[in-house]
Amino acid sequence: MTEADRDYEHYEAVVVGAGPGGAAAAARLADAGVETVVLERGVEAGSKNVSGGLIYAEESAPYTIDELFDGFRENAAERPITEYHLHNVSGNKVKSFDISRLHHHDTEWSDAVLRRPMDSWLAEQVHEKTKEVGGGLLTDIRVNGLLRENGEIIGVTCDEIDPITADIVIAADGVNSELARDAGLMDWDDPEEWFQGVKAVVDVPPEAINERFGVGADEGAAHLFSGDLFEGVRGGGFVYTNEDSLSVGTVFHLDSLAAERAEPHELLDALLTHPFLAEWFGDEYSEREYAAKLVPDSKKVAHGSPHEDRLVLVGDAAGQMQAQGPIIKGMNHAVTAGALAAEAFVEAKNAGDPDAAGENYERKLRESGTMRKLRPRRYKAASAVGENGVATAISDAVLKSPLGSLGVKALERVGALDRLYSSPFMAMMVPDTRTPYVTLPSVIAEELGDPVDGESAVEPPDLADRIGGLAYDTDIGNPHIELLDNSYEASGVAVTACPVSARDFGGGCYREETVKTNGSTEQVVSLDTQPCVECGTCAVIADTDWEHPSGGKGVEFRSG
Amino acid sequence: MTLDPNGYTIQELGPAIKDVEDLEALRSILEAEKDGENRKGAIALIESRIEKFEDDDDAPEELDPTEMSPADIGNAVKSIDEIDTLETMLEREEAGEDRGSVKRLISQRLDSLRGSDEDDDAEVVVEPPEEKHPHLDHPTADKQHVRALEDGTYRDMWVYCETQQGELIDCSREMLGKARELMDEYAADYGDSERVVAILIGDDVERLAEECISYGADVVVYHEDDRLKRFRHKPYTEVFCDMARGAGHPYGREDRPEEEWRDYDEPRYILFPATNNGRDLSAQVQAELDSGLASDCSDLFIENVVISNPVKVGTAGDKKEFERVLHMKRPDFSGFEYSTILCLDNPNREFHPQGASVIPGTFEVPEPDLEREGEIVDHEFEPDEEWFRVEVTEYDVIEGGVDLTGHGVVVALGRGIGDDPTRGIELGLDLVDAFDDAELGISRGIVTGSYNFDGHVEQYTGEDRQIGETGQIVEPDLYIAAGISGAIQHKVGCDESGTIVAINTDPDADIRDFSDYFIEGDLFEVLPRLIDALESGELDTAALASGGATDD
Repeated sequence: MTEADRDYEHYEAVVVGAGPGGAAAAARLADAGVETVVLERGVEAGSKNVSGGLIYAEESAPYTIDELFDGFRENAAERPITEYHLHNVSGNKVKSFDISRLHHHDTEWSDAVLRRPMDSWLAEQVHEKTKEVGGGLLTDIRVNGLLRENGEIIGVTCDEIDPITADIVIAADGVNSELARDAGLMDWDDPEEWFQGVKAVVDVPPEAINERFGVGADEGAAHLFSGDLFEGVRGGGFVYTNEDSLSVGTVFHLDSLAAERAEPHELLDALLTHPFLAEWFGDEYSEREYAAKLVPDSKKVAHGSPHEDRLVLVGDAAGQMQAQGPIIKGMNHAVTAGALAAEAFVEAKNAGDPDAAGENYERKLRESGTMRKLRPRRYKAASAVGENGVATAISDAVLKSPLGSLGVKALERVGALDRLYSSPFMAMMVPDTRTPYVTLPSVIAEELGDPVDGESAVEPPDLADRIGGLAYDTDIGNPHIELLDNSYEASGVAVTACPVSARDFGGGCYREETVKTNGSTEQVVSLDTQPCVECGTCAVIADTDWEHPSGGKGVEFRSG
Repeated sequence: MTLDPNGYTIQELGPAIKDVEDLEALRSILEAEKDGENRKGAIALIESRIEKFEDDDDAPEELDPTEMSPADIGNAVKSIDEIDTLETMLEREEAGEDRGSVKRLISQRLDSLRGSDEDDDAEVVVEPPEEKHPHLDHPTADKQHVRALEDGTYRDMWVYCETQQGELIDCSREMLGKARELMDEYAADYGDSERVVAILIGDDVERLAEECISYGADVVVYHEDDRLKRFRHKPYTEVFCDMARGAGHPYGREDRPEEEWRDYDEPRYILFPATNNGRDLSAQVQAELDSGLASDCSDLFIENVVISNPVKVGTAGDKKEFERVLHMKRPDFSGFEYSTILCLDNPNREFHPQGASVIPGTFEVPEPDLEREGEIVDHEFEPDEEWFRVEVTEYDVIEGGVDLTGHGVVVALGRGIGDDPTRGIELGLDLVDAFDDAELGISRGIVTGSYNFDGHVEQYTGEDRQIGETGQIVEPDLYIAAGISGAIQHKVGCDESGTIVAINTDPDADIRDFSDYFIEGDLFEVLPRLIDALESGELDTAALASGGATDD
């Protein structure tokens, strides 16, 4: 026992963040009798969380959420996703493929979820389990850093309570993990390593969902969109069916979003107002919640050795978010990683060497095949060629040429496109260029698609109303983001890329301003953190000092 | 006759009588043996069986601790009241496995039984701590103890109602509401209707008595003295304690008169606000009354409770039910845990009043019931001049910034001033000056903006003038919003204004939805004309219209 262990409250395990990764870790630890405390910064678990909305249980995974939490699907999930479609869009032409086969590959089940209800249910189970072993789950507590002694990580420090020491610190604090950065394991430097997701949860009555999507009461559908909907920004859209709502969202490569100076909410609106989707929303479009988050690209950032001293990272905090073509899997990997981290600690502790937990965890991630899914070897090979600009230009040119269109048609005739889209291998090796996201889908739709008639009557709310519809508990006088360089050059891109900011919109986080001093004119950016949805975009693309708000403060998602 | 021992050998006799439990039957068997073969061994055997049942008709089977686990023994010894049996067990254990834990369990039970035997009719002998623990320091030995009452009568729930700037603070109202609720439940639970008594101390507090009643007090006791205008530790404590101690109180003043409204020595419960002054007063008052205090409570309820702590019960192992106990919940370890504090009498010392200080905002401010009736009592008492030795020579109201509320007109500016921020503020100030009673407010967009303001207007651009959800909420007769788009966060700060006039270049701005008049135009053009019109006393509608006015 170190000196600090005596000075501070000590638990065997501290889990930071009560999302699926933290919940899985805490549940496994508690089941093994480890005294575990879980710290959650939201007013309730899930109030800070956003997800596109599908959670997978993989056949090949060592853990699934329903194994760890009995009754998960009945109590915490929305609809099972029983069919999966991909739509290539070019103008009003749409060519659709059924990719259910790809969806079902290695999938035991997959459910649509909303994070507030899901995570809060998980948190209740976790609290019950951890209470039994002398711990518990505390909300409204923001962990703000690592506690070190002689340079070694021995615990965590918090805004609200005294530091806590632990034999293991499991950082499941999400995509903007402050602990991962404190430990130097992750950074916020490169926009190419991130996706930004923006989502609207739209009210639709359950019967209407059954009818409009042709599904039963216990069935659900997922639809993906790619093509020219999004001003050439690399990414795509999705629609998932919940019990009595739809999750409609877009996910873009952050570097592309920034480079194109695209407005995320407008890209979302482009999807929402496409005539293909019109009938799904009915006559009355009613948006329940607007939300956004960053998503790490595991191909590039999943940490191969996500641990340091007593600290281990799980889930988004470790970059464990698999987004490859149409496959978007994050929560399942977080669950696996959380449970493996717990397992690793329990084994290390039983062997009398709790400090070996990190190494154990790394080995388990590798041996369970989880790392291979997060950082596939095929991607490395394909990206070497595919992300080379010349290659992209050539393949784009070929695809757009009459020859390319002919090729697409030929492939279609022999059913090769269907097979290709249904191939998990293709999904694993798609390079991150315009070709697969924009050019190929557009060409496919142009050549093979059927035109969609009619206009959409959907009028999405403007940004001011979307912000107005969110619940905030503003930490007055204590903004959590500091703009270090307010010059337009350094931080101007945040005005467009921030999902709650826009050009010529004064009510957002980032605003463009012209300042006249002594006869000279300067473009600057100003920041108001009040409308912040804590997605982390500006941490990557602007020059900021970015922290989470204190426990219970800031935005509170009701759906998530 | 159940059994004739004479038909058995001694070896056979043991098993034969082992199931006979009836004393009469055993005695007749003994008689039969004596009348018959009269064997020594047989007689001893039967007698021991008789002895067993004579000792204790329903004694449990003899326990052999060496064959039991410590946990089983722990459970088993609880139901054994026989010291002999326990001593036998202890001997057996010592002779057998000699486990420390088992011996402790048996010894503990023995101790508690012996203890209660001795205490049965003997007075509890209380040893002063100095004698009981002579090797320890006793820093409190010199304390001028104000001893607690013996067999005191305690009733009612008292609420110290703190005032600031001549008004009740919200926490006083919150506590009155909670006290009302608690004492209504108390009456239902115990059939005794005890009262909520509000305590007011200050220089001009009688006028607040009715308000206290409207929030739930049955009785208001107030004490007024010019010297008590500001809170002062010593005189406030003395006055409060004088109020608390009824006539004939052994530690109260001798001339304390009987009062019609009360028939008790001290309050049963007292609530204080956990404010700076309330904390100060609560600690001293409860010490003076020789009771305890649960500070910073976040919940209160009254319940009976069964306690086994020997300090409170008087005898180890015994349990005692305490009635009407105020349960005081308070956060510990920076809110990490909650403890429930109970203030319970000891066998030889009473701990009353049961006192708590309550965190402001914990309970709801109740709806005042203006029809409620109550008794108002002027507490007559002359504080000792000596208690005022500490004087408040100077005080300051901490600068709360600019108060935008309470003005007839508020002129608010938003990011529409962006083209020339300094000029925008100047125009706003000019418009303010054109009214008799107006103030300048700004939107959050300006507060958080990067505008470069000239020095002379910069003071008007800070957070202290912000209107909206995270700033001030104003309800003037006239609200003029210039260059404000009207996001929901701003709307909540001005929505209750009498008339809202909005000036904006964007006819689709949200503010149009909740303004009474909407002027479509640039504030740099519209404001000067408004100012002119106000100053000249003539509204040049033509000029306004050319700025693009519409009456919405």
